Amino acid sequence: MKLGAHVNPGFDLEVRTLVRRAGGPPPRILYRVIELQHLTKRYGGTLAVDDLSFRVEPGHVTGFLGPNGAGKSTTMRLILGLDAPTSGQALVNGRRYTSLRMPMREVGALLDAGAVHGGRSAYNHLLSLARTNGIGSARVVEVLEEVGLAGVARKRVGGFSLGMKQRLGIAAALLGDPGILMFDEPVNGLDPDGVRWIRGLMRSLAAEGRTILLSSHLMSEMALTAERIVIVGRGRLIAEATVAELTARYPSLEDAYMALTSDSVQYGAAR
Amino acid sequence: MSVLSSEWLKIRSVRSTYLILGLGVSTILLGLVLATSAAGAYDAAPPEQQAAARIADLEEALIIMPQLCMGILGVLVVTSDYATGLIRTSLTLVPRRWPVVAAKSAVVGALALLVGALAVFGTHLTARSVLGGRFSGAYATAFADRLPLLVALTLTVPVFALLGTGLGALLRSAAGATSVIVGFVYVIPIIVGNIPEPWSERLGSLMISALPRQITGDHITTSVYGSLLPPPAAAAVMLAYAAAPLVSATWLVRRRDV
Ligand SMILES: Nc1ncnc2c1ncn2[C@@H]1O[C@H](COP(=O)(O)OP(=O)(O)OP(=O)(O)O)[C@@H](O)[C@H]1O
Ligand SMILES: [Mg+2]
Repeated sequence: MKLGAHVNPGFDLEVRTLVRRAGGPPPRILYRVIELQHLTKRYGGTLAVDDLSFRVEPGHVTGFLGPNGAGKSTTMRLILGLDAPTSGQALVNGRRYTSLRMPMREVGALLDAGAVHGGRSAYNHLLSLARTNGIGSARVVEVLEEVGLAGVARKRVGGFSLGMKQRLGIAAALLGDPGILMFDEPVNGLDPDGVRWIRGLMRSLAAEGRTILLSSHLMSEMALTAERIVIVGRGRLIAEATVAELTARYPSLEDAYMALTSDSVQYGAAR
Repeated sequence: MSVLSSEWLKIRSVRSTYLILGLGVSTILLGLVLATSAAGAYDAAPPEQQAAARIADLEEALIIMPQLCMGILGVLVVTSDYATGLIRTSLTLVPRRWPVVAAKSAVVGALALLVGALAVFGTHLTARSVLGGRFSGAYATAFADRLPLLVALTLTVPVFALLGTGLGALLRSAAGATSVIVGFVYVIPIIVGNIPEPWSERLGSLMISALPRQITGDHITTSVYGSLLPPPAAAAVMLAYAAAPLVSATWLVRRRDV
């Protein structure tokens, strides 16, 4: 385990990637990898992301943890090219996201489930997103089935519950069947059924060999879903480890998180 | 093309679009009401008053309605994406960004051309059939003679729509962009009309409402605006009203954090 250290690009991981692809298409080391290189973002006086370097690999769920304001959402926006980094860079499949022409086929993301027009139907919402990348209506129907919204496909999104909107956001991320997926707090506000559904979905997407970056504040849930954990605080990398390593050293993932972030909590009661 | 079909679906799949389009086209109904009441008043008047009676060009007087409606549609097509946060998704799916602005402009511009043509030609033909030879034959002239002005008037409607799209993308706020549009229609012309000459006429010639008649060279002495521009210059100014905000908005959207 490496704490507060720079990333381990992981020689062993590269070997694993090579082995997994043996006999298949020619190995591409950077295939299905998110790589941050000294990523930094400053908003006026706030250093939201501070020299962040790590790598997210395929085949398992990577949990992205950190206190409120730690820079998790900002990091995801930087990866997606929505915000321009102050310095450093983020690469997906070895390229800058902004250089992708049909990004839905490579990267899917759910940043904010509430970012929908309430007057549009679920089907039209997804179809309008799909069309930008030349994806047809058959795939829209497929993902609506996959997330369990087929029955309300023609209903206006404005009437959807929070959980239904999360499912819709996940459907949007899945449209292009991408190898890399990012979800910013997808279990927020979900009922136990929904939480369990997301857990299963994340794990099965990862088992298919996809790269999953998942942020959440629910430690017990993260312990069940993720295999690797990246913890950030005040924009900086605090720890990068497997869940097994953390739970071997601390009583639980939650205890590990509390101990590791105790210096980095900006907003909260004294503890 | 794919972004265009996406934006076309987006504008088709919200109700407010139909409300705004309907309001724009309902200009024809207003034209019908005005023409009918004018015809009634004319018929009730004694012959010597009839001979002196004049009527305004209804399609020109009412053009403000489709202009405002489509200007607001242009604003909304951008600002509603910002208000809902959907703009983040849009720009994630199209990282080059400019095709999103271009597709929104194309969709709104095309709808505005259609609504503008329906409103202008619909109002004119309605007035023509209702008024006949009344008002010294104001509406009995050859249609071909009126055609250039009708076309120029129609074109101001997509100009407003694109102005709205550009302002919406620049300001990201429906309230802000709509205020500027209303300012262009009502406030600025009044201010310009009240400043000392020669500036009143010089700036007046640049007002959007003054451009159609300068483009067709069909000047009327009663114009509250100026008419100093030759037709090509007037056409260029009209193009600039649509293009300048759009070009700067596209530049800004490509650089700005979302
Ligand atoms: N567009 C912005 N302009 C100014 N400051 C910003 C902007 N976006 C984020 N910040 C600041 O950057 C810091 C990191 O915010 P961010 O939303 O990335 O944190 P987070 O880890 O996602 O937090 P949370 O767990 O609460 O979602 C915060 O201090 C925030 O106020
Ligand atoms: Mg966040």
